[in-house]
Amino acid sequence: MAIHTQASTFAQTEITAISLQKKPRVGEILIQGFLFFCGILSIFTTVGIVYILVTESFTLFNSQQWATTNKRIAVEVDPTMTEIEVGTSGAALFVGDVIRLTNEVMIITAMNDNIIVVERGAQGTTPAAYAAGLQIARAKDVNVIDTLTSTNWMPQLGQFGIWPLLYGTIATSIIAMFVALPVGLATAIYLSEYASEKVRSTLKPILEILAGIPTVVYGFFALVFMTPLLRSVFGVENVQIFNVMSAGIVVGILIVPLMSSMSEDALHAVPRALREAAFGLGATKLEVSLKVVTPAALSGIAAAFVVSISRAIGETMVVAIAAGSGPKNFTLGKDSLFGYVLNPFLSAETMTGHIVRISGGDLSYDSIDYNSLFAIGLMLFLMTLILNIVARYFVNKYREVYE
Amino acid sequence: MGKLDNQPQRFFQDEDTGYPQGDAIKQQIDVRNRRGLWWRIFFMLALLMAIASLVALLATIVNDAFGYVVVINREDPERLALDVVAMQLLSASNTLTSEDDNELADGVAANPNGIGFFGNAYYQQNRDRLKLVAIDGDLPNEETALSGAYPLVRPLFLYTTADILSNNQAANVFMNYLLTNVNAEIEQVGYLPTSQEDLTFSQRNWIRANANLGLQPGQWAAINPSGILGNFTIAGSSTVYPLTDHMLAAYQAAGYEGVYNNQSVGTTAGIAAFCDGKADIAAASRPIQSGEFEVCRKNGRFPQEFRVGTDALAVVVNAQNDFVTNLTQEELQQVFTIAQTWADVNPAWPDEPIYRFIPGADSGTLDFFTDAVYDARLSDLSKEELARLLATNISVGRGRALEREQRFFENALLFESPDLWNEVCAQPPAARPTGCTAPVRSRDNIYDLLMTEVVKPDVVKTYTLLNSVLNRRAIQAEAAESYPNGDLEFRAWVNRDFVTNAQSSTPELAGVRTAILGSLFVIAVTIIFSFPVGVGAAIYLEEYAADNRLNRLLQTNINNLAGVPSIIYGMLGLAIFVRALESFTSGAAFGEVTDPTTANGRTILSAGLTLGLLILPLLIINAQEALRAVPNSLRQAGLALGATKWQTTWHHVLPVALPGILTGTILAVSRAIGETAPLVVVGASTFIALDPSGPFSKFTTLPIQIYQWTSRPQAEFRNIAAAAILVLLVMLLALNATAVFLRNRYSVRM
Repeated sequence: MAIHTQASTFAQTEITAISLQKKPRVGEILIQGFLFFCGILSIFTTVGIVYILVTESFTLFNSQQWATTNKRIAVEVDPTMTEIEVGTSGAALFVGDVIRLTNEVMIITAMNDNIIVVERGAQGTTPAAYAAGLQIARAKDVNVIDTLTSTNWMPQLGQFGIWPLLYGTIATSIIAMFVALPVGLATAIYLSEYASEKVRSTLKPILEILAGIPTVVYGFFALVFMTPLLRSVFGVENVQIFNVMSAGIVVGILIVPLMSSMSEDALHAVPRALREAAFGLGATKLEVSLKVVTPAALSGIAAAFVVSISRAIGETMVVAIAAGSGPKNFTLGKDSLFGYVLNPFLSAETMTGHIVRISGGDLSYDSIDYNSLFAIGLMLFLMTLILNIVARYFVNKYREVYE
Repeated sequence: MGKLDNQPQRFFQDEDTGYPQGDAIKQQIDVRNRRGLWWRIFFMLALLMAIASLVALLATIVNDAFGYVVVINREDPERLALDVVAMQLLSASNTLTSEDDNELADGVAANPNGIGFFGNAYYQQNRDRLKLVAIDGDLPNEETALSGAYPLVRPLFLYTTADILSNNQAANVFMNYLLTNVNAEIEQVGYLPTSQEDLTFSQRNWIRANANLGLQPGQWAAINPSGILGNFTIAGSSTVYPLTDHMLAAYQAAGYEGVYNNQSVGTTAGIAAFCDGKADIAAASRPIQSGEFEVCRKNGRFPQEFRVGTDALAVVVNAQNDFVTNLTQEELQQVFTIAQTWADVNPAWPDEPIYRFIPGADSGTLDFFTDAVYDARLSDLSKEELARLLATNISVGRGRALEREQRFFENALLFESPDLWNEVCAQPPAARPTGCTAPVRSRDNIYDLLMTEVVKPDVVKTYTLLNSVLNRRAIQAEAAESYPNGDLEFRAWVNRDFVTNAQSSTPELAGVRTAILGSLFVIAVTIIFSFPVGVGAAIYLEEYAADNRLNRLLQTNINNLAGVPSIIYGMLGLAIFVRALESFTSGAAFGEVTDPTTANGRTILSAGLTLGLLILPLLIINAQEALRAVPNSLRQAGLALGATKWQTTWHHVLPVALPGILTGTILAVSRAIGETAPLVVVGASTFIALDPSGPFSKFTTLPIQIYQWTSRPQAEFRNIAAAAILVLLVMLLALNATAVFLRNRYSVRM
């Protein structure tokens, strides 16, 4: 036996050969390293998301964007000329404006009617010759305040007001929650409190099927079924083909399974003792459900609600297909509030819909469009992140109570 | 507690205790129960609404994926196939062609091994020198022609419009005269009379144009032509010419005093002249074609058909020929194409070469013969035949463009001249057309080209399934009314062709093969990347991670990532994989650029990795749950026996958790298959007809395809979007069924 041999060796040759200490196994260390790397990759993902969203948005807010003015130079310009005659049409130029012809940047130092005096070759660009009729672009700084207060989203004109897109997102989400909250919650209460085990096991898979259908299919459903339905109910002249209402309702249907399954979990977690106590006091089933179980599960239901909102905000394909393909720019005070601005039967693009539409085309890197998409993405990310954190807070709260 | 003190006192007061008594209790309980019932109904309705949405969703898709359609083909595909047969006839050995039927009759009469076919009228003139051959036992005569037993029978038509009849008295009365007398006169010309039924139908057309006469359908009034003035022109078929000529002569003899112009220019030219307004009546030895009808309609002429007679083609052999008296249809097919000698057709016949005398390529008679004798379908043709058809039906310029895209044959050029081709292909690779190096076109590819470039089927109207089932009659009536030259057919938009065809800009021909392959490629990359990483992360978190701050952060982070909208992952993929790692994802770093036009990172690899990151949190969470379900005693047993942590995990924990992990993975993967938004952002191609060939190819996927088709305004795109959705749902269903199967199979073993 090995032990005997070992013992005899031990006796013969003092303390040298064997140690019962744990041997370092290189293979296992490598494996453990790999496993740790897999785990840490998710941190990289988050860091990557935050990094690219922030840096690209930062580029936008630090960049000089060039807005078209529709103003053209009226004469041929050679590389040394500093007095340039411009056309009368287009936006007005002012002293101090930074303008651009093709790639050359100039600064206006003086103006005399249609003659502008410029400093050539500003910002390290090279003066060149230009043919008459070339359009002038004007520099425009993008700042965060404008973005958060302006109600026009027109990147080509240098206007980056987030509100038209935010409006689309909020409107569809509110409509969606008007559908998902009552339907989802009532379904959850029915399945958890009323339905027999047999009914439950047949009906739950149906909700799971709803949850498993790709969102693009819901988009098709919104456009082909819901929109015509709304148009036949409210009148073709009142409902646009692409409209917020249709997209919102379908997003609502789409998140019903999420809402109901999370709420049902919360209702299920309520201890049986609570129900039995209430029944013992003579409460009816409805009273037990609505006045005992639901309040007890309220934090879980609130979490379900918040996660559903977050899902509605991030939902993309339904709104990209059915809500509209252009931001609904508006001017408060000028546009009728209920007839236009808040009218859910008109089309309005959401943040996600805008990202999909713009990136679906031929998007070139470092263009205004490209950078502005990341700014929208950042906004979207922050909104959903905050909602998810809020939801987690609610979930933890109800866990504390019953575990 | 004041309340409690008070209550017993009130209780003992016997009356009005504050608690309901007797009926009042019952009433209150009733109210509460009723309220309970109403709410219960509300809860059930909510659930029913959710189910109704699912039903409506599926119904909408099925409703659009099937239904009646009206198709108008630019070229009739059967006609094209018959053109190939006609070419075989013309190129068969020992074949003499002539537009002059007398020449054909002379040829057969002079050659003992000759055989030919032409109008019955010419046989009648040469009865003594020729022998008539029966087809399937039937000789051409009035009886077999009317019963349809003799196959080589064709109708003779005149076409004119109601407007012409009501405005041109000479033409109007001629039509009346003809419809009155044609059956009595026609045999003198050598043709067979038409059936009374068809004649009555033609007469009804005439009556409709002459409503002022007050005739009821079925009645007929012959108008006396004497003294009728005015001129008119007939143009068309050389076959109908002898008949019209004979009838016009009789018309004049009966008293017509105007001047007529009867031209024998061929059916096609005659109808063209008629549609252009150069002729008042068109004579045709075949029904008007849909394209011709359309041209007429555009010119404001709505042709009405008058069947005036029947022509039987006579198949004749030399009078000395004693062995051929009857031919079956199959023998007839061989005699004029592949057979070299009579013995080839029937071993009992002499081994002498067959000499064939047939009408030329421009003749309607040849077309008619091929149509009646041969059964040709475009889909049965060989690659060479399809290519030849394509070559004769598209312009050389278009053909060259197609050939430069991809060659048709390995060793031959169909459109380009060899010299120019060699010159073009000698250019540096960037300027060289893809056809120089790309593999040659397959038969199926040429077939598709023929459909898109020549046949051009156009679905002009579609009906939903519900409509098709409920209003079949109304749809048939509407289609006949609005699209007289279109074919109404019931179409399942999702069919074999739809699954196997490549993408196309024509919805009628579009398929999802490219998209399905794209989806599979992308998913393969996703699984290869995310499965090991996801399971690894789950093992780390469940088996190795100590409960410290870092690991709690990891867990929270993963949970938060699961809630990030998918489109954000798309932006991550765009910035990292497509842009920052472009040289890697485009394959440039490996010298593997599949397609020089896409060397920008918008590849299957980028898409797969993006989706991999997207489903990673989901996969980790699912795998963690599966690992957590493994009983702890298993781990403790392993460790107690001296196994290392990894040995315990690998040999004991993982096998038990595997079914759960696989189920979770499949659910995550089915999420990835349905994802659209991140792939749009990463840069799915809007149009590719070439199948993906590797991780560095451009890509499109099934959901992307659905999105693009849904965004199109035309109804047919909606139909194929619905069909593609069905394909996608079937794919997902198959995947989920696999998940259930795995779960059941492995959980039994545990």
